[in-house]
Amino acid sequence: MTTSITRRQEATQADVAKAIQRSGIQWRSTLFHAGLLLLLLTTLVILLVLLADIMIKAWPTFAERGVSFVTDGLSLNPETAGVFTGIMGSIAIAVIVILLAFPIGVSSAIYLEEYAPDTRLSRFLDTTVRNLAGVPSIVYGLLGGSTDGKNVIAAGITMSALVLPIVIITASEAIRAVPDSIREAGYGVGATKWEVVRSHVMPSALPGILTGTVLTLARAIGETAPLLVIGVATGYFAPPGDATFVDQITGSYTALPVIVFSWSRQTQAEFADTLAPAAIIVLLVVLFVLNGAAIWLRNKTENRW
Amino acid sequence: MTQQLTLEDLAGDAKRRNRERRVKVLFVAAGLVSIAVSILIILSLAGEAWSFISQVDLSSLWTVGWFPRRGLYDIPTLIIATTIIAGIGMLVAIPLGLGAAAYLAEYASPRARRWLKPTVEILAGIPSVVLGFWALTFISPEVVARIFSSAKPFTMMAAGLGVGVLITPLVATVSEDAMKAVPMSLREASYGLGADRAVTVRKVVFPAALSGIVASMILALSRAIGETMIVFMAAGAVGGALRTFNPLDPGQTMTAAIAALATGSDQVAGQGLTFQSLFFVGLLLFLITLALNSLSNRFVRKYREQY
Amino acid sequence: MKKLTKIVVLAAALSLFVAACSSSSDDTTTTTEASGGDGGLTGSLLISGSSTVEPVSALNAEAWRAIHPEVGVTVEGPGTGDGFAKFCAGETDISDASRAIKEEEAADCEANGIEFIELLFAIDGLSVLTSTNNDAVSCVSFSDLYALLGPESTGFTSWSDADGLAGELDGTNAPYPDADLVVTAPGEESGTYDSFVEIVLEDIADERGQDAATRPDYTASANDNVIIEGISGSDTSLGWVGYAFFLANQDKVSALEVDGGDGCVGPTPETIADGTYPIARPLFIYVNKAKAEESEALVSYVDYYLSDEGLNSVDQAGYVRLADYGPVREVWETRTTGAADL
Repeated sequence: MTTSITRRQEATQADVAKAIQRSGIQWRSTLFHAGLLLLLLTTLVILLVLLADIMIKAWPTFAERGVSFVTDGLSLNPETAGVFTGIMGSIAIAVIVILLAFPIGVSSAIYLEEYAPDTRLSRFLDTTVRNLAGVPSIVYGLLGGSTDGKNVIAAGITMSALVLPIVIITASEAIRAVPDSIREAGYGVGATKWEVVRSHVMPSALPGILTGTVLTLARAIGETAPLLVIGVATGYFAPPGDATFVDQITGSYTALPVIVFSWSRQTQAEFADTLAPAAIIVLLVVLFVLNGAAIWLRNKTENRW
Repeated sequence: MTQQLTLEDLAGDAKRRNRERRVKVLFVAAGLVSIAVSILIILSLAGEAWSFISQVDLSSLWTVGWFPRRGLYDIPTLIIATTIIAGIGMLVAIPLGLGAAAYLAEYASPRARRWLKPTVEILAGIPSVVLGFWALTFISPEVVARIFSSAKPFTMMAAGLGVGVLITPLVATVSEDAMKAVPMSLREASYGLGADRAVTVRKVVFPAALSGIVASMILALSRAIGETMIVFMAAGAVGGALRTFNPLDPGQTMTAAIAALATGSDQVAGQGLTFQSLFFVGLLLFLITLALNSLSNRFVRKYREQY
Repeated sequence: MKKLTKIVVLAAALSLFVAACSSSSDDTTTTTEASGGDGGLTGSLLISGSSTVEPVSALNAEAWRAIHPEVGVTVEGPGTGDGFAKFCAGETDISDASRAIKEEEAADCEANGIEFIELLFAIDGLSVLTSTNNDAVSCVSFSDLYALLGPESTGFTSWSDADGLAGELDGTNAPYPDADLVVTAPGEESGTYDSFVEIVLEDIADERGQDAATRPDYTASANDNVIIEGISGSDTSLGWVGYAFFLANQDKVSALEVDGGDGCVGPTPETIADGTYPIARPLFIYVNKAKAEESEALVSYVDYYLSDEGLNSVDQAGYVRLADYGPVREVWETRTTGAADL
């Protein structure tokens, strides 16, 4: 161990000697314990107050509107405004993220963990991924905004770029957690690298990868800022009755978090008072289900070796 | 009798090797996507940012405030507001996050931990637009306005507190990981010398986990600087802001300035370099967070290597 | 064990995907199922332009589409200028506008062979507001507003700070009371800000060689409810919002009379509609004539817009109806093209 640690140990000894001689040690220790607990509880209380406040505000909407709030579309009329269009948009974005970010991200992770020799390129790639993960989401919005499409495809591609580094990092961690013995067993029977990856590493790493992906999806669904920069509908739109799939995905769209934002600054008071909180509850339910799935997956697969 | 094994046989059949090569090319290509994304970001920002900085009247970069629609691009306004809001956020998140992390890592029973940790993670999963709404409709009227009667409906204080709530779980989870990574032997050595838990946590676990804790703080700072929606909604979602050091005034951070310009009406926009200024601010933001993240990664690597 | 996990994981992934796909196809089925209406019209309409007009167009689109559920409608509000740019490129069917089309915009339309029908359907009045407790001031002229809110007023924290500046202008009510000047108003990104500058400040600013803008140092908000709060929060406040918000909050704030050169007039539906209240702007929709000839849906929508039923949306959005809809309906029925002012 380094010398600095040794110095710290000496300091500790002196401290301990002093501490033992003092009679106050018991209550000081208790106080420290209580202080930490208080800080943790404060954090939890903030969460509780937040949820309670939003729920109380949202309650009138659900009481009066019931399911129709979830099945009605975007509207500037507070009596008929619902979140259906937003849910559709968010699902469409999520599907694009699954189709784009997931395969590219997992492949990158496999390359980084299984194939890449420790060269300048792979180290550069690793640094790039870590740095990309920290780029503010609105910067991705500027990137997506410089393309001309104000549709769900542009939004989905931008969100895919946004979550790609997170998919890579979580997938890398899951792959790294697979013990080498599993790989060696594969090589031992004459498998090639790809065969080992495909039938030994991936099955073992998949639950971990999936946990990460589900959490990533939650992130993509909750993001708002990039969509505002790319351009997203906040007024009214409805596709024609004979709209094809292509018409729908290249037409106007909106997303759940964007609805929360635009309602919070709508001038009719009902929007900010109760409709936006109700939209938040719908958004949170979607995210909690995803998070719950991730935690369930993790608990199911923890400590397997 | 015994078959002669050639080098050819050991290499396996050609079809398999070809597939192996193709698969590898595919993986390398996937890896290069990230680099491509980085290059695209830099290119899309740098071009417009350059046309801004090369054409802008330099005196308009130092005026009364950030009013891009009337040609006043006071960058210090944005930097000051960003610093104030991120600072308030850190003042909230450091004690709460570290306290929660230390309790979870050192005091909580395994059973309690199984419940407490996911709860903290729930907080981490709350989208920033929700916290923005809450900062505007709860923190601002119920907390800030009660403590400071002079506060306006939109304040950097409310936004900063909201950002603090956003980054607390980040500090908590990353710091907790770092404390958990401290080997048991160090704690046992401390107990062996007669130290109690409080002393062990403060004098042994904390110093040993320091690089991880510092990393968590830098990450949180970078997240606070890059946060858009909370600031945009709670600190005044408008096109401009005066330069001010008072946290009870409305303010405009770099991120909120981009969002405000992108969502406004066109009638006054598009004058001169308004559009380009957006990309200049974006580039600035990109470089600042890049620097912070590289720094934090360095610290993370340090604590990974230590044990 | 491993096999089980694999199956679970695959099933989870699959169900997620299927759920996603099936719900997006749900979208199509719900819209088709709802086609019980008697409209029989098809196609789609694209309406863009002023964010001020957007609520009226959106409310009308929603109500009208209940009768014609097979027609697709998109209403956007990027701003009047952006709207005309698209309209004159032939991209939109209707352009919403909170001002008349400008000469260069009309020329742009003409160059692209786009003929338009200009329909003035409502008036938006801007109310200059102060606290209900403020009895020192009851009427302001454009010069007063310039002295208190114009570009040269930057830094004034008391009403009386503007006395000197007011001395250089004609027709002011100076000296002003020595009381805190607390200004809350829409931000620069809003159309209401724009209209205020154009109607009240621009001429005086031009004369004095100043930028046509307000002072930057006031509390700006994108939310009109917040502006009302700000104005009612101080006894000597000043600010402006759309007439609708004054109307909804008469208990909290009071509107000052405004002198636009012809004496003090307070905002009422009558004074706004007949043009005697000076701070008002017309709201238009511009219809692409060629598209109206092709699309029955577009004709039906505009018919609805100008019908008594459609005009309810004008009230709902908080704007003022015209005194007489005969002329504008005439313009529409005869498909008269061109701008009245040019």
